[in-house]
Amino acid sequence: MLKIENLHVSVAGKPILKGLSLTVNAGEVHAIMGPNGAGKSTLGNVLAGRDGYEVTDGTVEYLGRNLLELEPEARAAEGVFLAFQYPVEIPGVNNTYFLKAALNAQRKHRGEPELDAMQFLKLVREKLRVLHISDELLHRAVNEGFSGGEKKRNEIFQMALLEPRLAVLDETDSGLDIDALKMVAEGVNHMRSAERAFVVVTHYQRLLDYIVPDYVHVLADGRIVESGDKNLALKLEEHGYAWLRDRQLPQARA
Amino acid sequence: MATERTEIERPEIDQALNRRYDAGFVTDIETESFAPGLSEDVVRALSAKKDEPEWMTDWRLKAYRHWLTMTPPEWAKLDIGPIDFQAISYFAAPKARPKSLADVDPKLLETYDKLGVPLHERARLAGVAVDAVFDSVSVGTTFRKELADAGVIFCSMSEAIREHPELVQKYLGTVVPIGDNYFAALNSAVFSDGSFVFIPAGVRCPMELSTYFRINAMNTGQFERTLIVAEERSHVSYLEGCTAPQRDENQLHAAVVELVALDDAQIKYSTVQNWYPGDENGVGGIYNFVTKRGDCRGAHSKISWTQVETGSAITWKYPSCVLRGDDSTGEFYSVALTHHRQQADTGTKMIHIGRNTKSKIIAKGISAGRGQNTYRGQVKVEKTAEGARNYTQCDSLLIGKKCGAHTFPYIEVKNPGAIVEHEATTSKISDDQLFYCRSRGLGEEDAVSMIVDGFCKQVFKELPMEFAVEAKKLLEVSLEGAVG
Amino acid sequence: MSAPLLDALRETFDALPASRLAAGGLGAARRAQFDAALADGLPGARAERWRYTPLRALERRRFGRADALPDIDPASVPAANLPRLVFVNGVYAPALSRVDGLPDGVALYPLSQLLETGDARDAEFLARRFPARDETFARLNAALALDGLVVRVAAGVRVATPLALVMLGAPAGGDVAVHLRHLVELGDGAELTLVEYQAAAAPQAHLVNSLVQAHLRTGARLSHVRVQREDAGASVFARTDAALASEAHYARVDLELGAALSRHELNIALQGRGARAASNGVLLADGKRHVDTRLAIDHAAPDTRCDLVWRGLAADRGRGVFHGGILIRAGADGAAAHLSNKNLLLSPHAEIDTQPVLEIHADEVQASHGATVGQLDERALFYLRSRGVPEGEARALLTAAFCAVVLEAIADADLRASLDAELSARLPQVAA
Repeated sequence: MLKIENLHVSVAGKPILKGLSLTVNAGEVHAIMGPNGAGKSTLGNVLAGRDGYEVTDGTVEYLGRNLLELEPEARAAEGVFLAFQYPVEIPGVNNTYFLKAALNAQRKHRGEPELDAMQFLKLVREKLRVLHISDELLHRAVNEGFSGGEKKRNEIFQMALLEPRLAVLDETDSGLDIDALKMVAEGVNHMRSAERAFVVVTHYQRLLDYIVPDYVHVLADGRIVESGDKNLALKLEEHGYAWLRDRQLPQARA
Repeated sequence: MATERTEIERPEIDQALNRRYDAGFVTDIETESFAPGLSEDVVRALSAKKDEPEWMTDWRLKAYRHWLTMTPPEWAKLDIGPIDFQAISYFAAPKARPKSLADVDPKLLETYDKLGVPLHERARLAGVAVDAVFDSVSVGTTFRKELADAGVIFCSMSEAIREHPELVQKYLGTVVPIGDNYFAALNSAVFSDGSFVFIPAGVRCPMELSTYFRINAMNTGQFERTLIVAEERSHVSYLEGCTAPQRDENQLHAAVVELVALDDAQIKYSTVQNWYPGDENGVGGIYNFVTKRGDCRGAHSKISWTQVETGSAITWKYPSCVLRGDDSTGEFYSVALTHHRQQADTGTKMIHIGRNTKSKIIAKGISAGRGQNTYRGQVKVEKTAEGARNYTQCDSLLIGKKCGAHTFPYIEVKNPGAIVEHEATTSKISDDQLFYCRSRGLGEEDAVSMIVDGFCKQVFKELPMEFAVEAKKLLEVSLEGAVG
Repeated sequence: MSAPLLDALRETFDALPASRLAAGGLGAARRAQFDAALADGLPGARAERWRYTPLRALERRRFGRADALPDIDPASVPAANLPRLVFVNGVYAPALSRVDGLPDGVALYPLSQLLETGDARDAEFLARRFPARDETFARLNAALALDGLVVRVAAGVRVATPLALVMLGAPAGGDVAVHLRHLVELGDGAELTLVEYQAAAAPQAHLVNSLVQAHLRTGARLSHVRVQREDAGASVFARTDAALASEAHYARVDLELGAALSRHELNIALQGRGARAASNGVLLADGKRHVDTRLAIDHAAPDTRCDLVWRGLAADRGRGVFHGGILIRAGADGAAAHLSNKNLLLSPHAEIDTQPVLEIHADEVQASHGATVGQLDERALFYLRSRGVPEGEARALLTAAFCAVVLEAIADADLRASLDAELSARLPQVAA
């Protein structure tokens, strides 16, 4: 589904990703772990198409297409979803209205009929019920005045509603208490399917107790330095990232 | 993924721009108009044309003589050449003068249909009475009987001068005196038509009142005059809309609006101003120089101005409230958008005189293209205004590198029991917000409209429903091509 | 037609020895600026920049010129422990000044010395023309200023000790007009703290017209504190024009505590990338005082920043006028500008006029301003009283707290303490 090869990305002239390669197949959950400053958030932003991230080398293929040449909205319509680490507030724009416009824009792009207000509301209620979210979120402006936890719930809710094929969760666990964390994990687990893939970016192993990944990769200094199964995350937890740095150095110098 | 945003406009956007001013058509109708020029004789002829009583003619002449002694204002932030007042025709009207709406020329009715303001009985807007002003005259007012039953007078100013002289004489010029400013003096001398509203004591007006102003003829100026009087405990909501054909010449619109609210009365005045803005190079468009002022004359009275200004080449208006009555309230909610080479200098004055008077100002400016947008506002608390309160919030949004946004508040406080708060921010449309919307699948233009709509929400929610929808649409078309 | 104020200044100008006016090759420039000032007169009520400060009463007064130095008790001169230049009624007072012990790379001397014996090229800054019609006082200053402080700090030199500029008013047998012109020049990376006092040795009703030009080269840092506590009879027209090259920092604190009429214009041009200005101040208008402060911050380069924090108090029959102008020019992307102006209006006959202004021609900016006029928080007052603090003391405490933010930015602890003392001495008189 997603094939990243030798990806080099600079931000404001400064290289951040330095040859990252990663293959994600449908139905898989990949966890990307790594210390602060390793380039974890850059990966999510590049996949979603944010301005200011300059790809200097490498390729990103998504469903057989060059993802990098698509505008952000086209990527969304093609099924790429980024759950933001810091979702932005958009004052005055009603959350429901926003989601309906987004969903219908995506449907239109895919040649599917747009949902009318009734159909949309029905869908919303269904998703809310599954995620145990109160509909109070819907009446407020997008993320405006939301607590950190509410913002993350809102991201997961959006993901549930938009039903992406590839979901990238950028440190969705940061700043969450255990209940919110469980809710986020439930939302993801509920959506796991043979057609859908997840890339879960996190600093801590904690989230992976609830979202059990098929693969764990360690990102350090702009590239993946170690891959393994869920046990790698536990090892990291035990030894810390410093342990990794020692292992990575000879390779980096090679 | 660094995509460079450029100023180059794409062809499809050019197309959108070319059709974006939907109201830009001309109605081909036989018109009677004065030759261009202004003199005492023109003022007399205008007055005679309208069968006005002598007191009205004298009032006009007094204003004209005063105007001659005045000098045009020096524009603080506006780029404008001198206006040749002798090149303007001061009267234009469709030749056929109908007795009632039933006799109105079908071409005129068609015009208002096209503008979305149907006048004929079958298609009238539900719950809104409309006075339609075409160039210098009112062509008709709907729902007259229903309003009369409630005791409400809603008619053209010309008719009011003939039918209700005592009311006109009592209130006209008491809020905006003839010598108030250059354009108000000119308007007082040559005002053509406009609406008159009188709500008697204790009456809550049974429907929204609305005037639709249309400039059609070439080389004319529109000088409408509106007077709304709300007696004790009465209540009225009034809407005004404006459009003009697309022409390469600038046309002058210099209106005066006076509102009087007596004890416990409430007036809500909403404007959606969509005069022709000129083209993307700044050719043509309306000069919109308007004096609007409300007098909260009575205790516990309230006047609320809401405006959405998307049209005109140049806008210069400051709908104001004189808070004379104790516990009276003034409000100003404004969205002003300038695109291409439009210039807007708008804001309000809140003059606190009575005790415990309150005012609230919410102004949202949006600048795109080479548009220049200035908020200019005054909050003045006189010594007598014990307990006065004002809250002002002024936000500006910039879209593009060549536009400007300016904020000039004047805060003058003479009472130590008053509390005045002013806040303003200016920033460009947020990259983070745009990206967030796009990453959820919205196109860039849709994302911009959505964010701008959210930015204006505090103002839009003050508008009556139909107007809010229209305002939102207007913003969208006005912003077409602003990002690209 | 002509006003007594200007008539008297013309007499002064005409009576000055031609040699003094011509020193430094400035004769023609002085004459041109003087003629311009006379031709345009004092700004009237229609001049936008003077709308809240009428000059009609001042215009009718006559001011002479002081030559002789009156006796001053050195102990009464502010900034006792600092290197300082002292001017009494506009005349340099060597006996009260102290210029020894300055580090290498610092030149500190009176302008009169430069004009008498220095290199004419060093006096070129005095030839500057002031084009706008309402710049009457700057023009008069250009024509009539014969003295002032000149300080030049060489590139890379960081001056640890603050230097002081002291302008004292003293009785002179009649009202005199004082014109002083100062120059502060910091080379690349140079650092300096300048403390400016405008004070009274004894009651008088002079007119003081003081203009500081500051040039900060790349990476220079100037910390500039000004305490204005002139006599309640005096009229003060002060102006500061600062130009900042890239990465230069100008930190400024003003305490406007005295004078009958005080007008201060602070113009800061952020001309180089990354230049930064911080201006904090307290504006205190009690008695019958009229205090007008006008900021004009000009962002002319990318990534420039200004932070402006001003507090105003008006009591008795005082009038406080504040204008906070921020201009961001096209191309100044990445500019950030923030202004906070809060005012307390404490008496039924006092007045506050405030005008925060944003004028913005670039889109990559973050700009905001806030202005309030109100009173001390009644709930806080009650809280303090319910804990046993007498009302007067509670008011003084809250007033001091209201102003405290202004001094927070001052890094030098001694300096901060001395300014705190200046404020503490004055505030209770207002709060009572």
